[in-house]
Amino acid sequence: MITAVLLVFLCGCSAKKDDVPAGYTELSQLTEKRIGVTTGSVQAILVEQMFPDAEILHYSTTVDMLEALKAGKVDAFAEAEALLKIMLGEYPEVTYLDEKLGSPMQVGAIFPKNEKGRKYCDEYSTYLRDIKENGTYDEILQIWYGDDEDLRVVEDPDSLPGPNGTLHMAVFTSAVPFSYVKDGKVVGVDIDLATHFCREYGYRLEIVQMDFPAILPAVLTGKCEFACGGIAYTAERAETFYYSEFTMESYSVMAVLKGTGISGQKSIVSSIRESFEKTFIRENRWKLFVRGAWNTVLITALSVIFGTLLGFGAYLLVRGGNRIGIWFVRALAWLIAGMPAIVLLMILYYIIFSSSGISGQTVAIIAFSMIFGTSMYGMICSGVDAVDKGQTEAAYALGYRDRDAFFRIILPQAAIHFLPSYKSQITALLKATAVVGYVTVLDLTKMGDIVRSRTYEPFFPLIAVTVIYFILSGLLTKITDILTRKIDPKQRTQEEILKGVKTHD
Amino acid sequence: MIEIRDLEKKYEMSTPLRDVNADIHDGDVIAVIGPSGTGKSTLLRCINLLERPTSGSIRIDGEEVLSASCDVSAIRRKVGMIFQSFYLFDHLTAVENIMRPQTDLLGRSRQEAYERSVELLGKVGLADKLLKYPDELSGGQKQRVAIARALAMDPEYILFDEPTSALDPAMRGEVQAVIRDLADNGRTMMIVTHDMHFARTIANRVFFMNNGVIYEEGTPEEIFDHPQKELTRQFIRDLRVLEIEIMDGLLDFPGAISSITEYCSRNRIPPKTTLRIQQVFEELVRQILLPEPGISHIRFIAEYSETEENTVVTVLHDGETFSLETTENRLSAAIIQNAVTSVGYSTEPDAVPERQIVLQLKKE
Repeated sequence: MITAVLLVFLCGCSAKKDDVPAGYTELSQLTEKRIGVTTGSVQAILVEQMFPDAEILHYSTTVDMLEALKAGKVDAFAEAEALLKIMLGEYPEVTYLDEKLGSPMQVGAIFPKNEKGRKYCDEYSTYLRDIKENGTYDEILQIWYGDDEDLRVVEDPDSLPGPNGTLHMAVFTSAVPFSYVKDGKVVGVDIDLATHFCREYGYRLEIVQMDFPAILPAVLTGKCEFACGGIAYTAERAETFYYSEFTMESYSVMAVLKGTGISGQKSIVSSIRESFEKTFIRENRWKLFVRGAWNTVLITALSVIFGTLLGFGAYLLVRGGNRIGIWFVRALAWLIAGMPAIVLLMILYYIIFSSSGISGQTVAIIAFSMIFGTSMYGMICSGVDAVDKGQTEAAYALGYRDRDAFFRIILPQAAIHFLPSYKSQITALLKATAVVGYVTVLDLTKMGDIVRSRTYEPFFPLIAVTVIYFILSGLLTKITDILTRKIDPKQRTQEEILKGVKTHD
Repeated sequence: MIEIRDLEKKYEMSTPLRDVNADIHDGDVIAVIGPSGTGKSTLLRCINLLERPTSGSIRIDGEEVLSASCDVSAIRRKVGMIFQSFYLFDHLTAVENIMRPQTDLLGRSRQEAYERSVELLGKVGLADKLLKYPDELSGGQKQRVAIARALAMDPEYILFDEPTSALDPAMRGEVQAVIRDLADNGRTMMIVTHDMHFARTIANRVFFMNNGVIYEEGTPEEIFDHPQKELTRQFIRDLRVLEIEIMDGLLDFPGAISSITEYCSRNRIPPKTTLRIQQVFEELVRQILLPEPGISHIRFIAEYSETEENTVVTVLHDGETFSLETTENRLSAAIIQNAVTSVGYSTEPDAVPERQIVLQLKKE
C-alpha cells in the first residue's frame, strides 16, 4: 500500500515540466492568464481589481501555488515579496516580476474593536513606533532576513513574568518569515516583535496556532486578545478590527517561471532521500508528526468513547418515551447529521464556548463526540429495529421486566447488527478529525501543513501524513476488533459459554 | 385456576374479544379452535398480559391480574407461553436459552440452571443439541427448545399459541408428542390450534371461538361429533368437507390443488389418498369436463371419513350427461378408473348444476 502511494508520488514528480509556458516579463502579459492567489489574502483583492479578465484560482497556501505554477496549472501567482524572497531560494526555476502590484501592503497585528482591544492596540503601536525610532526594529528585521540561521530564535514566551496578565495571540504558522514553526517552536518576525512587546509591557504571552481563516473569528469573538502573522492591512478588515502600527511593509508581486528550462533534475532516489531528511530529520520535525498523531488519536478515541455513551444515552431517553426528550434528541440528531463537521466545530468554538476559555482540543472532542453520538444513536435505532419484535415478547412472556429484556436480550442481538458499521464509523471519524486545525488544534493534518510550509515540499509531507493515517486506522481497527469480539456473543468459545458450569462428560 | 369474566379487547379498527367468560381448572387441557381472526390468539395474549384487555377481569389463583398493583412479571413467570414462531433468543445457544431466564429471573446458580436445562433438553429429545444456536436447528427442534425454556421456569399454566402452525407436517408430530407428554403429566394448558385431530386427541375441553366470544364449549366428542349450535356445526362440516366451485369455465388450477393439499393435511388423510383426490380433480375436471362444449359450471366436493378411512368425491356439472366409458380422452379415463372403486351417474333436478358423478376412491 505504502509503496503504491510512493509510486504515484514519484510518477507525479517525474512527469512534470515539459510543456510549461514560461518567460513572462511584464504584468501586461498576464491579463487573460490563470493567476493563483491565497484565499482571503490582500493579493486576492489586488489581482481581482487589476486583472478582471484573468482566471483566478484560489489556493490555501503559498506552497500549493508554487507547485501549481511548476505543474503549469497557473501561469503566475501573487504573493508578498517578503515571503517570496525567502522561499525562492528553494525554487531556482521560479522568479517574480520586478513590476509591483499596487502600493506596498502593510502587515500588522489586529485587535478586537472593544475597550481592551483599543488599549492593547495603542500600547503595541506606541511600542512599535518607539523601536522603529531607536533602531531595535531594524536589528530584529536584520536577524530574520539575514543569513545567520542561528540568530533566528525567540525568547520563550512562558519565561515572561507577566505581572499585567496574559495575552493570547492567534497566529497562522505557515508564513515564513512572519510566523512559522522551527525546532518545534513558533518563531518569526511577528512573534519576535510581540514577545519583545510583552516583556516591555509586562504581559505573559500565549501563542495559539490556527489556520488563517480561523484567525479573524478568533479575535472577533474574544478568544484571543490579538493576532499577527502576515495579516495585511485592508480597508475592509480595518472596519472590523483595530490595526496596529505596521510590523513590516512589503510589496505584492507576481511569481512566474523563469524563461529558460532549468535542468537540475535530481535522481529519484536522492530526491526522496532529501525530502525525507527535510520532512522528518531536520529540526527534529518527526516530533511534530508524533505530536500531531497523538492529538489526532486522542480526539478520535475520546470522541468514540463519549460519543458511544452519548448516543446510547440518547437512545435510552427516546426509548423511555418522554415526549420532550424524544423531540430534543430527534432535533439535535437532525441538526448535527445535516451540518458539516467544520461548521459545528466553528459554532461551538467561536459562539457557544467563545467566552468559556476551553481549549480547541476540548471543543474538538465535544464536537466529534456529538457527531459520533449522532451516528451511534442511528446505529442503535436500526440495530434494535432489526431484532424481531417477537424477541421482546418472548422475554416478557418469560417474566423479564422491560429494562432487563432490553439490556439482556435485545441489545446483544442489536449489537450483532450494528457492530460492523460501528467499526467503520470509527475509521471514518479518525479521518473526519482532519479539520480540527480550524479550531487551533495541532493534529496530524495541521502538522503536515506546518512542515510543508517550512520545507516547501508539497507532496512528501502529505504522503507521510497519509501513511500515518493508514497506520493509525489499522491500529484502531485492530483494537476495536479485539473489543467487539468480546461483545459479539456468537464469537464465544464453548468454554466461555459454559463458564462456571461443571458438565458431566 | 384462571377465571375470565366479561373480557373485552378493543382496537381502533376491530374488536377481537367482545365478551369472553371461562374458567380454567387445574389439570385442564383446553383446545381453542375456530375460524381465523376470531380472537383465539388475543385471548391467550391477554391472559399473560402481552395485550392489555380493554375491560373485564382475569383472576389467576384468585389474584386479579388487571389491577394496577399486580406484579405483571410475576404473573408471567407463572404462565408460560409458546409462540407460533418459537422466538428463541437468536444470540444464545440452546442450553443458554434455557439457562438465562433461570439465572436472570429465578436466582438459580449457573450450575443449577445448567442441570435443569440439560434435564429438560433430554426430556424433549434434544440432549445432543446443547450448544447449537437457533439458526442451526430445524423448526421442530426450535419449538421443542422453546417448550423446554418455558418449562424451566416451572410455570403453573402453559399457553400454546398455534405451536405447530409454522412447522412442516413432518415436524408437527415431534412437537405434538412433547405437548402430549405434558398433558399426560397433568399440566394445565391452553392450546390454540388449527389441527383438529390434535385438538381432539389432546384436550379434555374444547372452546369454539367465533367473533370474539366462546361460542360453544364442550368435550371433544360434543364439539366434533355432536355440535349443538349452527355455526359450530358449519365449521366442523367445513373442516371435513372440501368444496371447489368453478364458474364460467374459469379454473385456478394451482389454487385448487393447494386447497386439496391443505384439506388433506388438516384431516390427516394418508398421502396415497391425497394423491388420488388430486388425480381425480386434475383428470376429470381439468382434462375431461372443462374442455367439453356446454360445460362451464362445476362443483367438486370431497368428503373423507376418518373412522372408515373412506373418501367420496362428488362432481356436479351442467351440460349433457356423460360417461367415462364413452369419453374420447382414454388416458385420463384410465387414470381415474385406476384411482376409484366405483363411479355412479345421476341427474338431480334439485341440485345446481344438476348432472352428478359420484366416485368412491380406493382405500390405502
